[in-house]
Amino acid sequence: MSISRRQILAGSAVSAAALASGFPAPAIAQSEPIKIGYLPALTGPSSSTGVGINRGTQLAVELINKEGGIKGRKIELISRDTQSDPTKAVNAVAELTQRAKVSMIFGPLNSGEALAATPLIARDKVPMLHPCWVDELIDVKKYPMAFRIAPTNTQVGAGANYYVVDVLKLKKVAVISDTTGYGTASVNTYVPMLKAKGAEVVYQNHIDAANPDLKPELLRMQAAGAQAIMPWSVNAGFLSRICNTRGAMGWDVPIVGQTTLGSGQTKALLEKPEYWNKVYSNNFRQVCYANGKLPPRAQEFVDRLKAAKIGFGDTLLWWVALGWDGGTIMADIFKNAGTKNDDVVAYMNKVKGWPGIYGTVTWTPEQHNGFPDSEVVMCEVNSLKDGAFNLAPGYSA
Amino acid sequence: MLESIVSYGLAVGAVYALIGITYNVMFSASRVFSFTAGMLGMLGGVLGALFITKFGLPVIVGLVLVLACGALLGIVTEILTVRPVLKSIEQHLYVLSTLAFALMVQQLTAIEWGTEAQPFPRLIPIGPGWLDQQFWLPMLACAVTIVGLELLYRKTLIGRAFLAIAEDSYAARALGLPETRLRMASFALAGMIGTLAGFTGAEMLLAFFGNQSILNFYGFVPVALGGMGSNRGAVIGGLALGLFQQAANFLVGGIFAAVAVFVVFIIVLLLRPEGLAGAATARRV
Amino acid sequence: MTDATASAQPVRVFSLARIEGALPWIALGLVGLLLPLLDDSYIGVIAQRAYIYWILSAGLNLVVGYAGQIAIGWVSMLTLGAYATASLTAGNATPPWHPYLALVAGGALGAVFGVVVGLPALRLRTFYFAMTTLGFATIVTQVALAWKSVTGGGVGTPGPVFPWPFEPGWGFYYFCFFLAALATWMTANIASSRFGRALVAIRDAEVAAEASGIAKPRLLVAVFLFAGALGGVAGGLFSSLQSYITPDAFTFEMSVLFFIAILIGGRGSILGPALGTIILTALPEFAAPLVQWSTFLYAALLLVIVLVIPGGIADLLDYRNRRPLEQHREIVARPELLSRVLDKRSERNAIALTGVSLHFGGVRAIDGLDLEIRSGEVHGLIGPNGSGKTTTLNVISGYYRPNAGQLRLNGTDLPFDRPQARAGYRIARTFQTPRLVGGASVLENVMIGGMVDGSGSFAESMLSLPRHHRDEKRLKEAALLALATVGLEQLAPVRADRLQHSELRFMEIARALMLRPAFLLLDEPAAGLSAEEIRRLGALIKAISREGTGVLLVEHHADLIFDICDRVTVLNLGKTLAAGTPDEIRSHREVVSAYLGA
Repeated sequence: MSISRRQILAGSAVSAAALASGFPAPAIAQSEPIKIGYLPALTGPSSSTGVGINRGTQLAVELINKEGGIKGRKIELISRDTQSDPTKAVNAVAELTQRAKVSMIFGPLNSGEALAATPLIARDKVPMLHPCWVDELIDVKKYPMAFRIAPTNTQVGAGANYYVVDVLKLKKVAVISDTTGYGTASVNTYVPMLKAKGAEVVYQNHIDAANPDLKPELLRMQAAGAQAIMPWSVNAGFLSRICNTRGAMGWDVPIVGQTTLGSGQTKALLEKPEYWNKVYSNNFRQVCYANGKLPPRAQEFVDRLKAAKIGFGDTLLWWVALGWDGGTIMADIFKNAGTKNDDVVAYMNKVKGWPGIYGTVTWTPEQHNGFPDSEVVMCEVNSLKDGAFNLAPGYSA
Repeated sequence: MLESIVSYGLAVGAVYALIGITYNVMFSASRVFSFTAGMLGMLGGVLGALFITKFGLPVIVGLVLVLACGALLGIVTEILTVRPVLKSIEQHLYVLSTLAFALMVQQLTAIEWGTEAQPFPRLIPIGPGWLDQQFWLPMLACAVTIVGLELLYRKTLIGRAFLAIAEDSYAARALGLPETRLRMASFALAGMIGTLAGFTGAEMLLAFFGNQSILNFYGFVPVALGGMGSNRGAVIGGLALGLFQQAANFLVGGIFAAVAVFVVFIIVLLLRPEGLAGAATARRV
Repeated sequence: MTDATASAQPVRVFSLARIEGALPWIALGLVGLLLPLLDDSYIGVIAQRAYIYWILSAGLNLVVGYAGQIAIGWVSMLTLGAYATASLTAGNATPPWHPYLALVAGGALGAVFGVVVGLPALRLRTFYFAMTTLGFATIVTQVALAWKSVTGGGVGTPGPVFPWPFEPGWGFYYFCFFLAALATWMTANIASSRFGRALVAIRDAEVAAEASGIAKPRLLVAVFLFAGALGGVAGGLFSSLQSYITPDAFTFEMSVLFFIAILIGGRGSILGPALGTIILTALPEFAAPLVQWSTFLYAALLLVIVLVIPGGIADLLDYRNRRPLEQHREIVARPELLSRVLDKRSERNAIALTGVSLHFGGVRAIDGLDLEIRSGEVHGLIGPNGSGKTTTLNVISGYYRPNAGQLRLNGTDLPFDRPQARAGYRIARTFQTPRLVGGASVLENVMIGGMVDGSGSFAESMLSLPRHHRDEKRLKEAALLALATVGLEQLAPVRADRLQHSELRFMEIARALMLRPAFLLLDEPAAGLSAEEIRRLGALIKAISREGTGVLLVEHHADLIFDICDRVTVLNLGKTLAAGTPDEIRSHREVVSAYLGA
């Protein structure tokens, strides 16, 4: 069952007609806004992603409300800045579920807060939409109301592993991370996956991101015979130091890893622009340039952003797209299933091929990870233009 | 590999040493250890990047402005957080007042400058390896500071007055030395040394608000090990710490290096609270 | 009748904890008990958080607010307790434990590490100690990241879910509430016991604490054990409240919050820090736009508190001590009460110094001094400034180790470098500058002097067991009696820092009397006193010696010396210039020309 934008519009036209003829449902429920809880990290450390996503979500909600809302009900986005602090996230969850009685929660984004928030939201029986990649957040038994519209870390790692082993044909790999939860978990998951693909992990370590000199690490990788570096970190300073050190050593191996490798902050910290060559980061097929052009859906979205005068040159297209998808898919769900939890979950369990800007979402009762493997790709980071990247060499358009 | 350990270890050690000297200069003038030492180091990098990269000022102008800000902050520290609690120094309220002030400045930096590390411009475009500015600049700054302090203390009247205050502030006051003004001058001087450390080390450490706590701790280790008030101890301790850290980075890796430094710090302090080269504590009764 | 009035007199006394009265506590307790009636789980979560933070802060309050040890990084105890409870329950390294048992283990681990982290405080200067706690907090987080098999590394580990009767929701709420109440009760017990007074003495008057026989290491170890255990328990509860813990939940900002809550509340108070914790936990929820600025505002608040109201909230609440004191107060000592204060000593004791020399660098402070202080006598020690009088007193009371010579009590060597051991020998002293605990009442200041005579243990005081009550009763009676003896009983409930200088001198004597001293060393007790007060002081000292106590009187007032001393030693440049009866000294030619200036 694929739902196109037109069908949704049709749906709202029908309900508008129903409202006009004044028949069903008490008027109060009809005019009350639908409350959506939203837990972005807008300030504090690692807030740049949150800020980018927030632009998309806010725009989506704004446009939906401008077009009359959902069956006449406005969406009220109740946003709590968590500052990436798990304790603030836990407080906010209690507020959103118990006091505001929201119909769904979108977020949080960072692993520590998402891991803490998810069981609590599940305990309070509120449907949840995850933009966060941590695998453990989705478990249809423990958290039957939690769904994800983003890839899992496993998918992201598999994408990178695929590129190194199957596209670049490199077998000796160094895998490193910073000491954060995200970093350590990634290495622990990806190393066995690499080995299963037949690659040899010749070097593996967790490094304090505050350590300003990474030359020892790279020298050890080099000595171990690494042909590619796979760093897993969301710390721009750390990633740029890897690029800089590789460049200064004149060591010509590709760096393949997480999306932050391609962020503006990483770029700003490079000693020389050419140190960004042969750096490939994760990205998503729907928002990458293939032969210089974005896929039609993304292009349409970019035009819409431009029309709404939402800048994204200082952020990344996929962040804004992810936020937008979160806002629009929730609107679609409420439009089709109402706001009763059971109906919402039953509906979400059957979403198939929902055409997001960021990704195509499909959920089943057994699988609440909605992002398709095929849309996790790698891109060339030095091709950054208007917040988006070229597909890395080796992918077909 | 040895080259990397030595060049990098000495460079980062020089930054620690300078922060240690910052602690010492403030301590000598007031018997106060101030949490603002790391803050000054952090600001040296952030303000440098702000003036040179963001405002596009010439390097020399940027450096002078950074040092001026450092001196000003030193004076503010003295007036706001040290002088009011000096009468009751045995209550150690200075620990709290300087911590509070340093935290305020750090949070303000985090909000206004951002929580991401930002690049610091390369000032002298030669390099790589030993010639790279990020290695020799902190060491040069350290050497200049040591020689400068030595000349100041030995050759000038005001420097001798500093020493007199450090030796015995009561007697110095009895001799008619303007203790308060000298203390302010010392804090201004410490402000300049601290920001100089941050400025010269920033290409390596980046312009990052989080450097404050790192520098606070690792800048204090040489003071604790070398004995408070001893600049020679701070330099030796700082360089040794830098080399040790870097060697540990190479040989055993990050987390263990941090744990090792901490354990050594605790053990030395428990065995010799006055530091490896320090004198016994003063009379209490 | 005068004889009996002292202890019978109804002096209203408030101990440190009770300054605040029971009313606010009852109000807080009622609010806590009835809060679930609101049926608002959001408020419930915030309240649980406040209780949990308070459980930690209650213990930390003894360390920071009472003992004055600047432990900035106490969040490490929360981290340890949280990980211990969570990973034991989850069975990461062992077979899964029962959550309640795991919580106890978390507390135990906190206790152990409380001592480990606290140990440096016994040797290190304040700032050094602050740095080590800070460093430890960093290390704990790093270890939590690195030790993946147990802590889950960066991915973290799920927190325990406590089963009936304290299951998540209001059950868990009451669990936190009761544990917070228990923590409050225990800390209040400690704070109002001789151990609490000893902690404050260590903070404000360490030297006097030592002279009263307070063993700082033992006491601090007990307090660190207790504060660590509470921190660990708080951590276990925290891990359950959070439902999932990762290292990034334990931030330095959180440590700052605990610390600042205590200081905002006020040092030496329990209600103040409790209110501080509640306010700081709840405030960010009501000031959402300010969230970004919260740490900045906390820091600013800390600065204001330190500079403007060092006493914190507790000082603002302490209205009793703002009432004006009577203006023209007279100290009328009542030496006749001494027989009840002091043990009647019939045995003849003597402290003997033979050939004692002590030099600081090149300066010879004492140079071959012989001196004997005998029971029942007042021995005057006079001499010009710098002649070594106070130094001699400090040698006797164990602060200085002489370079040569012997110090003996009844023929046995007295140990050096252990001033806190002198109280055990019943050697008491006063100080040139009175060493007082300004924020405590006069009565409490005096009770500090009786520290060595308590029989109950730290744990007994914590749990308010009978021996604790007996100790308190006895110490209080003895202190009131000592105060009546020196003539200060009317001032017993007043904060010591409101007293006049002369009153402080008598208060110090009362504190020394608490030890029922065999020897009393007085360091210029008449300095700053009026002629009439000196006369009364003289009579008191004389009477003390007549009860069998040996008194060493270091003094400048020649009249006082010659009036009451049995024997006098005159020092010059660290050497004995003359020794003998007052009459002999008065006619000694050198003394007259060099010192008495007649």
